Amino acid sequence: MNDGSLLSAQVTVRYPGKPPVLRGVTLEIAPGEIMGLVGQSGSGKSTLALAVLGLLGRQRATVEGRIWFQDTDLVAMRERDLRALRGRSLSLVLQSPLASLNPALRVRTQLKEAWRAHANGTSADCDAAIRAAMTSVSLPADEDFLRKHASQLSVGQAQRVLIAMAVLHRPALLIADEATSALDVITQSEILQLFARLNRETGMSILYISHDLPSVAEICQRIAILHEGEIVESGPTAQIFAAPRHPYTRRLMSSLPHLPTRTGEPSAAQAAAAK
Amino acid sequence: MNAARKLACVVLLAVCAVSLAADWLAPSGYAKQFREVPSSPPSRQHLLGTDEIGRDRFARVLYGTRISLVLAPAAALVSTLLAALVGGLAGYLGGIWLRIATSFTDLFLSLPWLFLLIAVRALLPLNVSPLSSVLITFFILGLLGWAASARVLSASADSLRNSDFVLQAQASGLHGPRLFFVHVLPNLKPILYAQFWISIPVFILSEANLGILGLGVAEPLPSWGSLLRELEGLVSFREEPWRLVPLVLLIVVLTSFQLVLSNNEEVTA
Repeated sequence: MNDGSLLSAQVTVRYPGKPPVLRGVTLEIAPGEIMGLVGQSGSGKSTLALAVLGLLGRQRATVEGRIWFQDTDLVAMRERDLRALRGRSLSLVLQSPLASLNPALRVRTQLKEAWRAHANGTSADCDAAIRAAMTSVSLPADEDFLRKHASQLSVGQAQRVLIAMAVLHRPALLIADEATSALDVITQSEILQLFARLNRETGMSILYISHDLPSVAEICQRIAILHEGEIVESGPTAQIFAAPRHPYTRRLMSSLPHLPTRTGEPSAAQAAAAK
Repeated sequence: MNAARKLACVVLLAVCAVSLAADWLAPSGYAKQFREVPSSPPSRQHLLGTDEIGRDRFARVLYGTRISLVLAPAAALVSTLLAALVGGLAGYLGGIWLRIATSFTDLFLSLPWLFLLIAVRALLPLNVSPLSSVLITFFILGLLGWAASARVLSASADSLRNSDFVLQAQASGLHGPRLFFVHVLPNLKPILYAQFWISIPVFILSEANLGILGLGVAEPLPSWGSLLRELEGLVSFREEPWRLVPLVLLIVVLTSFQLVLSNNEEVTA
């Protein structure tokens, strides 16, 4: 399969004894693209992310269909081969930064472990890779910072450390699963800018999963709307915001909070979303 | 740290220090017989008197304390490591492994502990050298005492297996033993330490139980169990109160452990 897509998925996922969580979900991500996946809690967004990474085994979920990534079907791939891709070509950033960092390990150890999972270089090589990753996410790469534990970091710093771990091996696709949902608006904005910069500088594709439409609108070139396990609408971000076709998408747009402008009118973006 | 806990710590440290100084405080040793003064009351030469065959009771209490206080932590270490292996690994692997380990642990826990201990010890050779008896007692306690700790550890490891940071580590490409030893095990350490400390008083008491029944450490080596066994022949506490010293010491040490550990539980809760 080669239609120029980096990732092309058409999957159905079910957990034991339950109806399918994802029903024939189709998703395509082009190289270098930031794709938004929007849906409310329980719509199957995280399931799709874990299905791409082949990490649904612990929930004993079954994945049917195909997930083509760099011309390889991830669904048919052996676990051993999938492990070689995780963290190297495909990486993940989770929602809760402080819970996603190991509380017992120092920042350096966690980065080192992530690096050693796919590299056999010297300690100096590892340190250089860690420094580069930390710099790329605008975090200090000094010894004092690297010796910290997760509990000594702010939420924003912890999220940046997670992103540094995710970009250590310059993956082709980064999956950010609600990566900004637990952050305050200022930190959220900084992390969004960071994603946009990493995408610009490295050409890395990003699947940005969120229920937060404004943040999706800020960085995604295209978005897909997931509702009750099905993609109900997808297309360029501007088009979806300007003319949502599916009733669920329209409901999503209309549920955006209306901040009054100085004149008391909704802002231009809100007005477009409210159409 | 409250006053009771401070006092308990001081008592435990003092008992350990005195037992470690046994060679210096009781140079006659635990086996030397003073045949001219059997069953004598306390005196300058023999602070707690002598037993029926003229051995210095004070020396035997000190050496017995040393053996019991070394034996119990050593057994606790073995049982905690075994619990980490069975419980920790099963919890981490999950699925069928967790179910098998849980069933096996439940079966083990359903057996009466003391009965199991006595039955297993009785199956093993009884007429062995003192050193062998120490090793047998130590291994029996360690090998049979893992189940309760394993239950706690399997539940903790199961919850860690489903944690976000383990998922994040898996998403980074980590797997297998490295994932367990680097990401899961360090988070089990506080529970392992707690289980280790909780096991010590249990094993002290268990060794004393075996000793009283003559299934513990063999003569002439003393232990709290064998010293308590000597109380069998005690006619009147009032006439020979000094013979109660091993019992009082056992109660004091166990109470001190309880005070120290209960305070820890309050802090962690």
